[in-house]
Amino acid sequence: MLFLILLLMAAPLLAEPPETVTTNAACLRCHGMKTLAYRHPQTGKIVDLFIEQFAISHSVHGKLACTECHDGDFAHYPHHAETQQRSLSCVECHEQQDDAAKRHYRFTTIDAEYAKSIHATSAETEAATFNCHSCHDPHRFHASQIGDSLATIIHNDNALCFTCHEQARIKHAWLPNRERHWETVRCLDCHTPVTNAEQAVSHHILSAADSNHDCVNCHSKNSQLLNRLYRYRAASDVASQGWLNTAIFNEAYVVGMSRSAVLDRLALAIIGLTLLILLAHGIGRYRAQQRLLRKQ
Amino acid sequence: MNHLLIKKWWALTMVRRITIGVMSVLVVTLIYKVLYPLAFEFYVGKTNAPLTYSSSQELTPEAFELLAQELSRETRQQQAATIVATDQDPFARQVKIELLMNTPSVIKDSEPAHIRYFRDAGIRRYEGPKTCLQCHATIRIQHGDGTHATLDTLNDLVNSVHFKFQTEAGGFSTYGYDGRQVNSGAHKIPVGKINRACGIPGSFSWTGWAALIASRPEAQQDAIRLRSEGCGQCHIGGNYQPATEKMMPIGDVPNDAKEGIDCLICHATEYDMNQRYVIKDHQGLRWNQDRSLRSALTVGTIDSDTCLRCHQHNMGGDTYQHNVAAQSLGYINQRLLHHGAKRGNPFSPQDDVHAAAGMECTDCHVPEGHRIPRGRKGVDLVANDLPNKEVTCESCHTSAPHHQSRDKALLNGHVARLACETCHIKELTADNVVLRDWVHSTWNAKEGIFEPTDIYRSGAAGKGFTFLWFNGNGTFLANALGNHPDKTLNYNPLMQQVARITDPDIIATVRTKATELKQQYPEIDVDAYVTAATEPLSQLNPELLVQREVMIATNLSAAMNQGESRIYPFKLFNAMMYEDMSNQGAFGAMILPFDYARYYETGDSAAAVKVAIADPIIQRMYQEPFKRYMMDEFMAYFGIMDGWKTIYPLVNNQLVNVEAHWMRQMGTLMVNHGIQRQGHACIACHAPNGIMNFAQLGYSPERVAELEQIDDIVPSLNSAAQSDGQ
Repeated sequence: MLFLILLLMAAPLLAEPPETVTTNAACLRCHGMKTLAYRHPQTGKIVDLFIEQFAISHSVHGKLACTECHDGDFAHYPHHAETQQRSLSCVECHEQQDDAAKRHYRFTTIDAEYAKSIHATSAETEAATFNCHSCHDPHRFHASQIGDSLATIIHNDNALCFTCHEQARIKHAWLPNRERHWETVRCLDCHTPVTNAEQAVSHHILSAADSNHDCVNCHSKNSQLLNRLYRYRAASDVASQGWLNTAIFNEAYVVGMSRSAVLDRLALAIIGLTLLILLAHGIGRYRAQQRLLRKQ
Repeated sequence: MNHLLIKKWWALTMVRRITIGVMSVLVVTLIYKVLYPLAFEFYVGKTNAPLTYSSSQELTPEAFELLAQELSRETRQQQAATIVATDQDPFARQVKIELLMNTPSVIKDSEPAHIRYFRDAGIRRYEGPKTCLQCHATIRIQHGDGTHATLDTLNDLVNSVHFKFQTEAGGFSTYGYDGRQVNSGAHKIPVGKINRACGIPGSFSWTGWAALIASRPEAQQDAIRLRSEGCGQCHIGGNYQPATEKMMPIGDVPNDAKEGIDCLICHATEYDMNQRYVIKDHQGLRWNQDRSLRSALTVGTIDSDTCLRCHQHNMGGDTYQHNVAAQSLGYINQRLLHHGAKRGNPFSPQDDVHAAAGMECTDCHVPEGHRIPRGRKGVDLVANDLPNKEVTCESCHTSAPHHQSRDKALLNGHVARLACETCHIKELTADNVVLRDWVHSTWNAKEGIFEPTDIYRSGAAGKGFTFLWFNGNGTFLANALGNHPDKTLNYNPLMQQVARITDPDIIATVRTKATELKQQYPEIDVDAYVTAATEPLSQLNPELLVQREVMIATNLSAAMNQGESRIYPFKLFNAMMYEDMSNQGAFGAMILPFDYARYYETGDSAAAVKVAIADPIIQRMYQEPFKRYMMDEFMAYFGIMDGWKTIYPLVNNQLVNVEAHWMRQMGTLMVNHGIQRQGHACIACHAPNGIMNFAQLGYSPERVAELEQIDDIVPSLNSAAQSDGQ
């Protein structure tokens, strides 16, 4: 919610009209001020208008000029109310890209999924102004990088949800080993419908009631998780570490999921062998005693 | 047989051992409690004696009740007036109010609380701390984290900065010119006040605690009028000297001195400042107090008025028109007012937005018992009882304090780089003193005294105060430390801003003043005088100058680069004083105190130094024990690495190796009060030749150009801040 207000307010201030020669630096002369902000008269919350130069230049939008997204008359200070209220269309822009049709996960798909999402369908007043930017700050968003530790990815991902869902802890009281789950599994992994192996995790965020409560969905050989976070992980790990290291240092150990048939058989064999030895030892002692008794 | 002998011998040995043990404890106690204080008094040449005050008078029960009635009359009347109906004949109403206000129920509700306490306890005379401690032996305090503690009240006070004004503890944000944080190492020394604006600096409050000046106002045809002067007027100890004992690692302030503590000057709502004057008794000079029962009966919660009895002195100044205490100078021996304000930023409803909003000092400076926080940022070497407790604007105003202006977001944007005070203290009072010459005194005909000559006063931005990067640290001689966020090497205030005055207006004023002084002091070389006053580094020889630059670069850069700096306003101050040149370094030499009476009465500044340094405690300062105990360490912080030279500068009543100099740099004092609702307009800084020298603040030439010319983005800039405020 706050994010949304923030972005609606912040975003349009970022550009100048096309007729003036505009560089991002011109926008950042004001928006680069760390404390550029104001208290929203209705909510009383601080609306942050600061654009961190390092974050934006390292974001997926780092190569764009501010004016590519924020088109409007920003030559005037303060920026006109009309320009300030103009909303941004992520889908439209992303679909206009040359490679849009070739994308594995198209923005139209995202849009369609999002439309079904609880964020879009909820009647809660808090959800009324929800949009892409509520989760994806366009000024700092970047996809998880190969090399980021799984824990970091999960932490950052979940932190985003927790900024609004302050009650999550209470509502997940039922979940065994809750903190451990939150350290190793993304909220999304349970709160989106299962998708096929080729599809990324859906933007169709489910309501609490519709979300996955079945432990076995993950804690099984055919775990849902393998289609999700860990799929990316396995691929990236193999790419960077080779399959042997991946097998040994597998971060993706999940009870019930990470089964190796060889290991299972090996373990069974060891147990069987142990039992056999015990039996042989018992028989040996029995026979030795019988022999002693006979001698007496 | 043998066995019995051994037993007997053993018993005897035990008895002997126990006796020796008890005796040694007794001897140690005797030495510590009796011999040590006597030896210490003898060593420092100070004495203690029971203190009496003429205002401490016993009242009869009848007089007590009359006083009680008088003190509560106004509140009783107000309370009755709110109850009695208004829709009636005025005379009838008046009669009813008078009836009601004298009923026990109204009296009970509106009488100051201590009237009843004293009445019930049978207290008919106020006798200082003794009286207060009857009920307030302990005090329950709340720490910043919400936890509580119960403390011994007297002990809490006696160890507070308000009583001893120094500390051997750490917690200073002050860095020596040798690069060490003051008292952060193993060798801790008692320090806590180097008052750059005063000619009686720091521990020299010994020599200037209480003085009687024989003034000769011209209006009274040279008749002598005694006037009071000295550090003790603003300190709560009523003794003949400050709490010297507190400077030692052992020992305590004598009980006589503790009985001299003035509780009422802070705690009484109606303290009579006319009782604050110097009195002379058979022991010597000390400060009188209001110990009347009347004052004691008005004890209530602390408010700004009580704090400002002393603290307006260092904010608005003595001659500030709304300085309430300065309106009551004493029934006799009236206190002398110090001309030229130390900071020129008054805290009063007329000149400060927070005072006007009815806020009390303790709203921001939230006390814990008798310990009151100064805030974590401190540029000067002043002891802080609660060094970790924040006193900030942001704690109330948040980081987005502007709500009203069209430019609120832009104004809030400045918070990352500027302190609130930078815009919201637009000017200091005009009598803010910048350059003060203690050496060449000037006759004040009205007061009939010789005063130090103020060479330059100004309350204007860029003249009376400047802007510096500040991260909360300061040097040993009160220079703000901080750095441009880019940590550029261009920013070097100790070689630039505070070591050089380049403003032609100021230089011209100094020249005029020097020319005036020359009429009285023909030996003055005006050109040399102006150079020394405006370029104090010109007084350093080339080696010291090089040493200074090296020390700044190697010793101070860490303290400058700490944390995040913001630009703050700093009142500038420098003084010409006598210095002991045996103890000179790259940042200055040990300054010598003046004897107030001799100075004010004769104007002979050198003679006044001679009198002051003849004081036994200054002589002790120039001896080996004091050198080892603290002065070597003190000098290291001062930037003098080869120790304190114990070459006593007075031989056969002649000053030896003593010279008059300006300190090698200006001191910079934080200004945080006198906050104005309407801050500076943008254009005050964002224009060529604005009040802020961006280049000296370490900005690159390109950035300076950008900062000075922002009307390309904000065309309506000039009027931008007109609707400012919060």
